[in-house]
Amino acid sequence: MTIAKTSNKINSIVRACRIILSMIESDPNARESQKKYYHMLLKYYTRLRDARENNQFIAAHTVFFPAEIILAMDLVPMHTETTTWMTSLFTGECSDLLAAGARMGMATEICAPHRGMAGAFACGAIPKPDVMVWSNMVCDNTAKSGELVMDICDCPGFFLDRPFKDSPLEKAYMADEIRDMIAFLEAQSGKKMDYDRLSEVMERTDRQIQLVREVNELRKNIPTPFSPLGFLELLTIDYLFPGQPESIDYLVTLKQELEQAVKEKKGAVPNERFRLMTLFIPPMYLMAFLEKLAAQTGAVSVIEPFFTFWGEGKLDPSHPVESVVEKAYMIPETRMYGPLGTSALDAIKKCACDWKVDGAVYYADVGCRHSCATIKLFKDALADVDVPVLTLDCDVVDQTVTSEDEVREKMERFLELLEDR
Amino acid sequence: MLAVGIDIGSLTTKAVVMNEGQLLASEVSNTLDEAETSALVAMTGALEKAGADDSPEKCVITTGAGGKAVSFANRTKAITTCLARGISWHDPAIRAVIDIGAESSTVVKINDRGRVTDWANHDKCAAGTGIFLQQMAKLMKLSFEEMSELSRNAKKGAEITGTCAVFAESEVISHVHRVPPTPMPDIILGIYLSVSSRIKTMCKRIGAGENLAVSGGVALNTGLVETLEKELGQRIFVPKDPVFVAALGAAVLAEEEMQKGIQ
Repeated sequence: MTIAKTSNKINSIVRACRIILSMIESDPNARESQKKYYHMLLKYYTRLRDARENNQFIAAHTVFFPAEIILAMDLVPMHTETTTWMTSLFTGECSDLLAAGARMGMATEICAPHRGMAGAFACGAIPKPDVMVWSNMVCDNTAKSGELVMDICDCPGFFLDRPFKDSPLEKAYMADEIRDMIAFLEAQSGKKMDYDRLSEVMERTDRQIQLVREVNELRKNIPTPFSPLGFLELLTIDYLFPGQPESIDYLVTLKQELEQAVKEKKGAVPNERFRLMTLFIPPMYLMAFLEKLAAQTGAVSVIEPFFTFWGEGKLDPSHPVESVVEKAYMIPETRMYGPLGTSALDAIKKCACDWKVDGAVYYADVGCRHSCATIKLFKDALADVDVPVLTLDCDVVDQTVTSEDEVREKMERFLELLEDR
Repeated sequence: MLAVGIDIGSLTTKAVVMNEGQLLASEVSNTLDEAETSALVAMTGALEKAGADDSPEKCVITTGAGGKAVSFANRTKAITTCLARGISWHDPAIRAVIDIGAESSTVVKINDRGRVTDWANHDKCAAGTGIFLQQMAKLMKLSFEEMSELSRNAKKGAEITGTCAVFAESEVISHVHRVPPTPMPDIILGIYLSVSSRIKTMCKRIGAGENLAVSGGVALNTGLVETLEKELGQRIFVPKDPVFVAALGAAVLAEEEMQKGIQ
């Protein structure tokens, strides 16, 4: 009897990137920045796919972990949750990975990217890493996922503890944690950290954050120049390529394109009717549908307070480790997962007003307890500035939670509400 | 020119004919396999009752599950928008309408212009819907009227889950077969409380606090409405013919469209 083996998902992502790139490159209307974005993705996943063959050291890491460290040490990074998303985004589904997770006893209530990630490692759909590094930087789910990956892959690991609050004492503690983690990576990989290089990376990370702020400023224009769900590119750039020269190149190009579009008063969708705020991540397997829906209805995401809206602050690359700590407390997502004070609520109200938002869409990922717990708080805060919120129960990758028809129906109801106001 | 609103529900299709703000006629028929046929049957019935069966000029707005599949409709509108307009036509002071349909329940919050400001709905499980109540009535071999009547004699509502229709059914069976069995009125009140708790949560979620109305076929279940009133601590407005509220709203919207000159 032959047992069907789950296909190599990294290979699938590489293939999908190549196909998309060839399509974009033959499209005269495609953004130059989009080409750069897919070239980056292709490079990232090709390097990961070939890492074993090239005897390179793979460091798997969970979301929000400071990938700058891995990149500065010239190790091959593997962002675990993003890799699950990419599988869903590029291959249309990842039910085989979720099924593999289920076979390990992972309940459907667990965050699907983590379920998928565990399943992917277990069934050999993605390469087993040499080390697993993870953090409670933003999402507490990862605090457990890292241990699971260590078990499945039989590899060593390091948990980077980020204190909940941000006093100088706690920041100093986290800096020590990072130094310990670097020592761990050095011991495991046999490579030494080049702190000058880390400084350069952090300098670029700072520039990257600034460029995202500038891109967002341009998105304030009516009509907004950036594509309806283009913010996912900004998110991926930060997750996979922090502090990389290619990221700067991508963002500079994007900014120039948006400046040109603003000058020409060219909107991202033909007829902008609704300016939306996106709260949490849309289902990856519905991206093509959501893009189409946006073009049909003129509903475009103009700001994402918890993903692209970086708060104030500047990194000091002359103190690279401390600047990694600073970034950990500046990440937009920390507003949602960290100590939820008035700053988070003020941030979404500010975004709603400054970006002239008509309505907000909360993609309520059923597996994400942290984010779902904030729905009522954010909804009430946005009610203060007269912005209605649509809560869409869904999952980032698990297609069994909600269907395209359900999303369409609820989205149409919501847009009708906005139109009818 | 007549305004026609058609609400295609999962069990029944409702049609309402209006002219210059006046309700002329309404018709309800079973929903058939094809939404188009269902809509046509209900609309023809309503037009006949209005004495306008050959009226060539009409603006038709559809809503509900099969609304988009009707080729002769001028527009399709969301059920939430239609419920808001329909209930505001009955009473402009209403600020939220609780619609309990066959397969879903929805609470729509409304502003003083009859516009939707928010909504919450429950469509993942039959618990809290008309089908659930129908199933319970069948299980206890009672009509809705008998259930309502009996519920008024309840001493204490039996404990029945509000989260799953299948589990709720098992619980009702266990109450019936208990020794001694739980009194029938208490079981019925327990069923009403289980539906009410779902509705109450939805009302809380969107801040629907006062001036409430109820629509949909379940609004005719007086026992349930009384339980809802107790749970929500207020009188709830039940419009005449609550089953037609969404279709009526669609007809009101059709009149608005005609005023705008859009056909």
